Amino acid sequence: MIFVFLLAPAVASALLALVVRPYRAAVGWANGALSLVAVGAALALWREVLGGRVPVAGPDDLLRADALSTLLAFCVSLVGALAAWLGPGLGDDSWDATQARRFRIFANLFVFTMLFAVTTDNVGFMWVAIEATTITSALLIPLHASKASVEASWKYILIGSVGIALAFAGTVLAYFDFSTLVGRETTALSWTLLREVAPALNPRVLELAFVFILIGYGTKAGVAPMHTWLPDAHSEAPSALSAMMSGVLLAVALYAIVRWQAVVGRAAVSPGFAENVIGLLGVLSLAIGALSLVAQRNYKRLLAYSSIEHTGLICVGLALGPLGVFASMLHLLNHSLAKSTTFLLAGRVLGRYKTAEIEGVTGLLRTMPWTGGFFAAGMLAVIGLPPFGLFVSEFALVRAGFAAGRPLTIALVLALLAVGFVGVLAHLNRMLYGPPPGGVPIGERGHWALVPLGACLAALIVLGLTVPAALDGLLVSIAGIVTP
Amino acid sequence: MDSLFAQLVVLESSLALIFGLVLLWRRGVPAYVNAFTWQSIVLALVAATVAWFGRQRELYVVAALLVLLKVIAIPRLLARMERRFATERELAPYVNTATSLVVAGLLVLFGYAVMRPVVAASELPTRAAMPLAMGLVLVSLFVVVSRKKALTQVIGFLVLENGIALLALLGAYGIPLIVELGVFLDALMGFLVMQIFVYRIHETFETLDVDQLDRLRH
Repeated sequence: MIFVFLLAPAVASALLALVVRPYRAAVGWANGALSLVAVGAALALWREVLGGRVPVAGPDDLLRADALSTLLAFCVSLVGALAAWLGPGLGDDSWDATQARRFRIFANLFVFTMLFAVTTDNVGFMWVAIEATTITSALLIPLHASKASVEASWKYILIGSVGIALAFAGTVLAYFDFSTLVGRETTALSWTLLREVAPALNPRVLELAFVFILIGYGTKAGVAPMHTWLPDAHSEAPSALSAMMSGVLLAVALYAIVRWQAVVGRAAVSPGFAENVIGLLGVLSLAIGALSLVAQRNYKRLLAYSSIEHTGLICVGLALGPLGVFASMLHLLNHSLAKSTTFLLAGRVLGRYKTAEIEGVTGLLRTMPWTGGFFAAGMLAVIGLPPFGLFVSEFALVRAGFAAGRPLTIALVLALLAVGFVGVLAHLNRMLYGPPPGGVPIGERGHWALVPLGACLAALIVLGLTVPAALDGLLVSIAGIVTP
Repeated sequence: MDSLFAQLVVLESSLALIFGLVLLWRRGVPAYVNAFTWQSIVLALVAATVAWFGRQRELYVVAALLVLLKVIAIPRLLARMERRFATERELAPYVNTATSLVVAGLLVLFGYAVMRPVVAASELPTRAAMPLAMGLVLVSLFVVVSRKKALTQVIGFLVLENGIALLALLGAYGIPLIVELGVFLDALMGFLVMQIFVYRIHETFETLDVDQLDRLRH
């Protein structure tokens, strides 16, 4: 029943937007209300999981939500709700009715595919759903048809589809061995079963499969060197979509990798196999993300490269044992909140200044005191400054690194984080102060949209001061799932 | 019986690989569309062969769907796009034909190398053909990265999908039908969206040359 409340709202909103034409604001309001139902359902799942239960539903237990699914379902539904309230047609009025309608249809389908991907127990369907996220989101990137946005979406759909096809090849390879062990039932792609029989699977085949899976889903997660589409797609997309892509789509792709890591970790593969490859690619992504931050001239691309940096950081955490998994999952939640908020704020800045160039934006604090202040807070959160949550999760990650006996990796990570830190701070400084360019109206508009964004920043501060018991319980049980 | 089965799938998989290589030595989209269509026919034959010898009745459904989707529907849409963009030939890919074929040969060898543990672990009569499927996967990846025209890249991607489908058929007699249906749906939707973008690229850039897509660099 919980699953109905989690998955149906997005489908209903998409259908509503499809049926009602031309677009009316009422559709947006209904979408906003329904998106909150999904958040409620995710919270209900959370309570179930903390109570030690694992809700399942559907034929062959197709839907299953353990702690890992619950964390992701929460992130996706929350960011989905933010986008529903602040996206084209409700909070963002810079789009016409046709564009708003198209956004509502595909954005909701996008949310649905992500929620389904994280709550299905079947790794085959998980793949189908993640592939579908590419299709639903690619159509929304060129909401304003321009050369740049068409180019960005072409790179996205081509690289994304090819990458995800490789993840399918990996899934198929893992299934070879499995089907001879268990038989050719529909349940043969069940993750629960896969994890159970993992110790009996052929380690060499599973290693090959995992490499394909990591490259495949890693492409969607923005893991270097397959990240090239990401800065283009995330910067050219409408801000509400950027918020979802950076905030949760990357997390969903990482989720798929974590699911497989949990299987491979139990198999008789060479010790530390999965950890080593994930960690290596993680450090590479972190390096590319952090170093690219310095040279950016466009603030949306700046945020996109920062996402690559954080994807890298989460991967590094996954390679550092149970403490590392705890830290990187906490980081995943923090990053979802911080990056979606910042992208939505960047959308407000873009709406006012009509340029995404850092050079074109000056005196942000004078033209839009609240948006500017929040944007600054969001950026400081993203670079990991206290009192925001990302500081705590990065600190936890560093501790996990020392506990796992990887001081050199940690030193490298800290150095790269410092580079990114300085890069972002210099750009931010230039945007906040100075005289605003002529022709840019002064004064805040649409104050109510700032309320949810402020709430997210407040939540980040809470997460920076303490890890609430409910969250701690969830993260501990995720660490138990991934590293037995 | 098993040896006939094994020989048949090796023969069919070799054909599928050869049709994949056509993308490297021929120029012009009509030839690519033909190669893709023939390859899909061969893939449907593999499904039917496995269905018959391996006694997997649901694979007949897969074979029928392959014919509908990849032998009839997608080639028609591709041909329509080709007529629309008749002047857009793949004249100068990033890598020339001779080098491409050498690379493809190396990739097929590499496919054999990476599939060794899998072939060793498998007991199916189809195992000997599995490296060919991996070869096809790698060759089609190379096609996608080395060609310049958006339409050629799409066809390369379709061939990649065929390669993976072939791998699944040979390695495990296909994946469960219900998941397979989801995969088919994704393949169709994905293709339709790519088609929309090919038209869009042509509209906004007045060419299908992805070399022209260079606005977004840092």
